[in-house]
Amino acid sequence: MSLSRREFLAGLASVALVGCSRKTERPITGGFVDDGGARGHRLRDRAALPSPRRTVRVPVVIVGGGIAGLSAAWWLRRGGFRDFVVLELEEQAGGNSRWGENEVSAYPWAAHYVPLPGRKATLVRALFEELGVLRDGAWAETALAFSPEERIFRWGRWHEGFEGALAETAAERAEFGRFHERMAEMAATGEFTIPSALGVRPSALDSLSIEAWLAREGFRTPALRWYVDYACRDDYGALARDTSAWAGVHYFASREEEEGPLTWPEGNGWVVRRLLERLDGHVRTGAMVHRVERRGTGARVLAGDTEYLAEAVVWAAPSFVASRVVEGAPPVDFAYSPWLTANLTLDRPPDERGAEPAWDNVLHDSPSLGYVVANHQSLSTHRDRSVWTYYLPLSHLPPREGRTLLLRRSWAEWREAILADLERAHPDLRRCVSRLDVMRMGHAMVRPEPGFLSSPARERLRAAEGPVFYAHSDVSGLSLFEEAQHHGVRAAEGVLRRLG
Amino acid sequence: MHVALFLTVLLIAACGLIYELVAGALASYLLGDSVTQFSTVIGTYLFAMGIGSWLSRFITRGVVARFVAIELMVAVVGGLSSTLLFLSFAYTDSFRFLLYALVTVIGIFVGLEIPLLMRILRARYEFKDVVANVLTFDYLGALGASLLFPIVLVPMLGLARAALLFGIVNAAVALWSTWLFRETLGGARRMYQAACVGVLLLLGGVMAGAERITRTAEADIYADQVIFSRNSPYQRIVLTAWRDDLRLFLNGHLQFSSRDEYRYHEALVHPGLAALPGARRVLVLGGGDGLAVREVLRYPGVREVVLVDLDPEMTRLFSTHRSLTALNQGALNSPRVRVVNADAFQWIARSAEVFDFVVVDLPDPSNYAVGKLYTTTFYRMLARHVSRDGLVVVQSTSPLFARTAYWSIVRTLDEAGLRTWPYHLYVPSFGEWGFVLAGRAEYSPPTRLPPGLRFLTPAGVPQLFHFPADMLPVEAEPNRLNDQVLVRYYGRDWERIHR
Repeated sequence: MSLSRREFLAGLASVALVGCSRKTERPITGGFVDDGGARGHRLRDRAALPSPRRTVRVPVVIVGGGIAGLSAAWWLRRGGFRDFVVLELEEQAGGNSRWGENEVSAYPWAAHYVPLPGRKATLVRALFEELGVLRDGAWAETALAFSPEERIFRWGRWHEGFEGALAETAAERAEFGRFHERMAEMAATGEFTIPSALGVRPSALDSLSIEAWLAREGFRTPALRWYVDYACRDDYGALARDTSAWAGVHYFASREEEEGPLTWPEGNGWVVRRLLERLDGHVRTGAMVHRVERRGTGARVLAGDTEYLAEAVVWAAPSFVASRVVEGAPPVDFAYSPWLTANLTLDRPPDERGAEPAWDNVLHDSPSLGYVVANHQSLSTHRDRSVWTYYLPLSHLPPREGRTLLLRRSWAEWREAILADLERAHPDLRRCVSRLDVMRMGHAMVRPEPGFLSSPARERLRAAEGPVFYAHSDVSGLSLFEEAQHHGVRAAEGVLRRLG
Repeated sequence: MHVALFLTVLLIAACGLIYELVAGALASYLLGDSVTQFSTVIGTYLFAMGIGSWLSRFITRGVVARFVAIELMVAVVGGLSSTLLFLSFAYTDSFRFLLYALVTVIGIFVGLEIPLLMRILRARYEFKDVVANVLTFDYLGALGASLLFPIVLVPMLGLARAALLFGIVNAAVALWSTWLFRETLGGARRMYQAACVGVLLLLGGVMAGAERITRTAEADIYADQVIFSRNSPYQRIVLTAWRDDLRLFLNGHLQFSSRDEYRYHEALVHPGLAALPGARRVLVLGGGDGLAVREVLRYPGVREVVLVDLDPEMTRLFSTHRSLTALNQGALNSPRVRVVNADAFQWIARSAEVFDFVVVDLPDPSNYAVGKLYTTTFYRMLARHVSRDGLVVVQSTSPLFARTAYWSIVRTLDEAGLRTWPYHLYVPSFGEWGFVLAGRAEYSPPTRLPPGLRFLTPAGVPQLFHFPADMLPVEAEPNRLNDQVLVRYYGRDWERIHR
């Protein structure tokens, strides 16, 4: 009896085919939801822009309807000042806190939580007191992330918690312990505050990357290095080797509260919604500002076919746009991290192994950060359908190449890449997802590279005394809710001083 | 002739590997932790094969006859292995012992096979060909078995019948061997053939009944006859009966036994409700079995009972099934009762109704989803539905087995701004069980109870509030939506008991 090699291989292949054959899949709908990129690029490409057909006189124009711009507006209103308008390029205000909603849940497009503000973050506390989230010193339990807060997929199954699943050996646990001690020492210097402007001073830490700093301090285990790298990708969209050590330390040494964070189904969109309710009538969306010029002591702002004659301008859009649009704007050389986010609608829970579904579901061996379950903050005990927000910083490429990749790939290609990434943790995911929408953000957040603290451009933007005040979070170099709010309010105060 | 001989090698190698895979898979399936189960099963098995190979040296005469005998024994032990293991898991406490004993015995027999066969073949072929061919077919058989097992055998036959099928193959190989080696066996041949046929009949018979045996064993867990089982979108509902004992299991957890549920439900309802003579409206959260409602309906003063249970399948079953409506005395069909199928948290968040007495009879806080119904936020929201002098009673797991979890529930109610009166009782099918009464006003135990109770007496109620030393309060944090300590306490407490 003999079996030829060819027959054997053919037999194996047929077994393999039987094993792999897929059930018929139902289609997954969706597409790209971003459109601002194309509009923004008209500015870059100096496309023909309309000439003004009507003139509006308004004392204050706020350019940009993200957290910085809305915070500036909130602060003006809080002080009783009503003569301002907010101009937003997109059809929806919110910037990085934009949100969406479908029949299953509201969901975020980017920023999805605010860490519990410490004592120094007085403005954040003031806002949340006004919104009823902080009452008599107690946080509303329904706004705090529900248990279980996070889990991590590693070794083929989900593990509850974060550090517990990362630090497995005694050596790793010891190193995490030493790392947290080191961060507590750093926190005690008072240099790492939120908002950062309260504590920041020139620092030697800013001259090297956080990766180099870890090596210098003798932190060697891959577990800890992965943890720090993850933190940099999460907060800055950059790898540890591209992140300033000062910014890396800031992530770990600036938070005072153990509890938290605050979150809502639509992420920070919840805060935007509350702010928009308070700013009813002040916000114009779909308004692309293409020129800001000095006019006497004030400024002339051109948006679409409208000319605004203002006494002061709050520039709360990314600062690199100002250098193209605003007359006399300081040139900036910041790097911006490109990001991709996606919202997946699931009609039933997918298969999985290990710990229960959490709010934040992190994939260990992935370029993505994993996904956040938008309707985790629900009081129901039973959940059939859900919306997942998937986060992918394109941090492994230089920003420019990342942006090219972002635009070059089709929606179907991104869909396949995202599903393939998640399928490792949920093998039957395709049979659960009915919709997958993708948002591409070429300049999602400013990147705090080594040397960013001593950047003269940042200093010039911050010191501007009008008529244009710069309020975007890139002025601080850290793309955080608290930074955007701080600079928005700072700019609003500058405006009020100027107007007397 | 020689192809047939080597085919024998291939088949017995496949059988050997199947028994090993069955044992490993069954152990992972029943005990969990597949890495440990597969490692220890494979290790034990290979070691036992080594013992078998070593023992083969002591067989000096009648090698062919011994070979056939060993084949038959492997067929019996291996073929029945998984059925025996299923039954032992269901009905005995010695599953692990039997597992390793069976793996060792099968391993020793399988270890004997190849050395004996090689010795038989040595007389007929050159030694180098014997070694090469026997080992080649041995490994090929192993490959075949390892591919067949997950792709065909487990999905189509299940573990019990897969093992039986290969037992039959083993016995068939033995029968075939008596023909292949007929000259060597001589006169004993008839006897061996009869034995082979006997084993084939035995295994065939068990295989025919295997389905029923494993179904019984799988339903072991429910030691009694399953009279109803259904998967609703929310849970698996199983009802078992044995003589006059009716039992309800949700996702495998016992909810009640009709023999002693009166203790549980009388103690759940009457210490609170009998102390509220003016109670008109009662809310029951969970408790789709209608047994708490049955107790509530003993009070003629109660005009309306609202029952909120997530699962329509449960409330439908308990308002239509004859032996169940007999048990809850048709409580769910009473005109005084309104059944709402909704998520308890969502319902109390939306509703504006106010009640004099609230019964919270929800599943134990064994996961974060159910744990939400034991949080400060839930109790604060619930308190808004309770009249000023009204009371809430909460099913609170066992203060003996899950002591920290129990006192954490008490702490959580305290934290939500309610006064609490913890109490407990003994329910034979559950063990020591705990409840917590909570409210804003004063509470004193009732002096009168409705007629017809089988467990509670007016004198007995105050005694429920006495906690012996091993159930006294322990340090525990309140359970919050954003930090569900209770689920961790509960897991830890019960794990300690089960170890």
